[in-house]
Amino acid sequence: MENKNEALRLLQIRFIGKILAAFTHEIKNYISIIKESAGLMGDMIKLGKKSRNEPGEYLEIIHSIEEQIEKTNDLFRYLNRFSHRMDTEISSFNVNETLEELIALLTRFANQRKISLEKDFQRDIPSMNNNPSMLQFLVFHFLEEKITRLDKNSRLIIKTESANGSTVIRIIPKGNLLDIDKDKENFTYELQDNVVRQLCGNISLEKEETVISVPLTPS
Amino acid sequence: MKQKAIKVMLIDDEVAFANTLAQRLRMRDLKVDTAYDGEQALSKLKQAETDIIVLDLKMPGMHGMEVLKEIKKAYPDIQVIVLSGHGTDKDEEEARRLGGFDFLKKPADIDHLEHKIRKAFQEKDYVGNCFC
Repeated sequence: MENKNEALRLLQIRFIGKILAAFTHEIKNYISIIKESAGLMGDMIKLGKKSRNEPGEYLEIIHSIEEQIEKTNDLFRYLNRFSHRMDTEISSFNVNETLEELIALLTRFANQRKISLEKDFQRDIPSMNNNPSMLQFLVFHFLEEKITRLDKNSRLIIKTESANGSTVIRIIPKGNLLDIDKDKENFTYELQDNVVRQLCGNISLEKEETVISVPLTPS
Repeated sequence: MKQKAIKVMLIDDEVAFANTLAQRLRMRDLKVDTAYDGEQALSKLKQAETDIIVLDLKMPGMHGMEVLKEIKKAYPDIQVIVLSGHGTDKDEEEARRLGGFDFLKKPADIDHLEHKIRKAFQEKDYVGNCFC
């Protein structure tokens, strides 16, 4: 039992590490673009290369800087929300928002594999009273697994819907999935079962589609 | 006599970054082309003469190390400068082992990058003319 809990804790730390790595990677890219854009304006002044459309060019660069700052701000907002999910074990939350921030933080990882992440969220989905951080951890595992196994240029759809007092999350791969060596799997069925039990939910596999069902309120 | 313009190819999946950096290097009298992933770069290299490549590592599809390997195999005279925001010491070691000329971290100082490009170009001529 103790070993199982320890294994789960290690996987959770790895999960947070991966999210932070994705976040810092993206932020560093935005900062690099801002630096080069500011540098370009400096060059235009210092090197004195005049062009007919100078004010327009400056405005274009300023717009690009503003755009990168906006993207940086969005990502910081997602990371902040993600971090606060761990404040209390059980809290009231909107599942779409929880998945939205996870997807935003995982987009870079998916892009590297040329996989597009698509949201198909039910609007006005009821709030849940459960463990949002644990739910993100569970969904992350299946997203990561499918992103790794999918062929390049595939799609991965994340769908939410409510049914019979539960929230259902479907992770639907659209593309060819490569086989994996189950023996090398860190997040074993036993550990998955442990997490699902903590959420009072269940998981099923319908063809290649992973279906996670979690009650709005754990009993 | 006018000096031959150095032909540089910038390979980076961050389009805004690549385009802005390309513009800055052009203002320094370098002839710069861009490619946004490894496959595109390899295809462009078949058509256009290139002296120096500035290469990112983490890109969709082919990783920068794979691109470096392919370039050095097909075009050993082209000098490759790795410019990565996330490279480790191990990456630097690997890039040099694969024949990379230099390894810079993003965001790099533009004057420093220009200096490295010109230095790589000078050494390219040297490597091309010697029997080493």
